[in-house]
Amino acid sequence: MTIPETVVDHLVVATEEVFETMVFRPIVRGAQLDGDAVRPPSNVVATVAFAGHRRGLVAFHSSLAAAREIAGSMLGMEPNAVNGEMPDAIGEIANMIAGAFRTKLAAVEPASAIAVPTVTIGSDFSTRYGSAVTRVLCPFEMDAQTLYVELILNGE
Amino acid sequence: MRFLIVDDSSTMRRIIINTLKKLGHHECYEAGNGREGVERLATTPVDMIITDWNMPEMSGIDFVRAVRANEATRQLPVLMVTTNAAEEDIVEALKAGVSNYVVKPFTPDTIKEKIQAALRMAPSRTR
Ligand SMILES: [Mg+2]
Repeated sequence: MTIPETVVDHLVVATEEVFETMVFRPIVRGAQLDGDAVRPPSNVVATVAFAGHRRGLVAFHSSLAAAREIAGSMLGMEPNAVNGEMPDAIGEIANMIAGAFRTKLAAVEPASAIAVPTVTIGSDFSTRYGSAVTRVLCPFEMDAQTLYVELILNGE
Repeated sequence: MRFLIVDDSSTMRRIIINTLKKLGHHECYEAGNGREGVERLATTPVDMIITDWNMPEMSGIDFVRAVRANEATRQLPVLMVTTNAAEEDIVEALKAGVSNYVVKPFTPDTIKEKIQAALRMAPSRTR
């Protein structure tokens, strides 16, 4: 069970658009990883659930340092000055990626509805999902940092 | 001009307020969802509303319906800033009474232009 290439491509392009227009940082896409063999080593995870024609989750993963850089770029602040602003900024990044992805899919199939983002910050945690899901992990390089956008679909 | 910015993301509110400031508008009020927006409007008159769609408690669409249903706010220009950009979304937003639409993600130039366009279309103040 894998997620169709066109669906993954919409997610990758949505992510690139968000970084280009709102973060002003170019990102370079890497090779997608199917399944859950690789777990991203992240301290910050923002998830947006969606339901309707498709059911699942879009998750954005990054390190704390990368998350501060992203928040700083969005708000025009030095990464060192970013603190309390970071969780909200990363939540909004996930919201925009999931939202742009949803809009792209809605051009070719019935629209799903997205929920508001949930942000988790910590160290050494891992996320577990039920077995009846299909997942793909899309890595992106932002300078020396690796970011991941994951798509988890229920029952495909 | 007085603005009410309704968005559950403080980051997005700040980006919008920074854009308004660059355009010379400094009187901005904030609300974190539609319900807070309705409460704010009951005490603070504004000239334009800029609202998100996806928010907890009360969505932007329900908020716009509430704005249009209230005699005091019925005429206010409402700019919706959202990732929801499917054809059916835009139809739903226009039906609810949204006057202008900005799709997220947006470039700094796009948000500036859309706000300027919304201001040009706004009825002149009669106070
Ligand atoms: Mg929102």
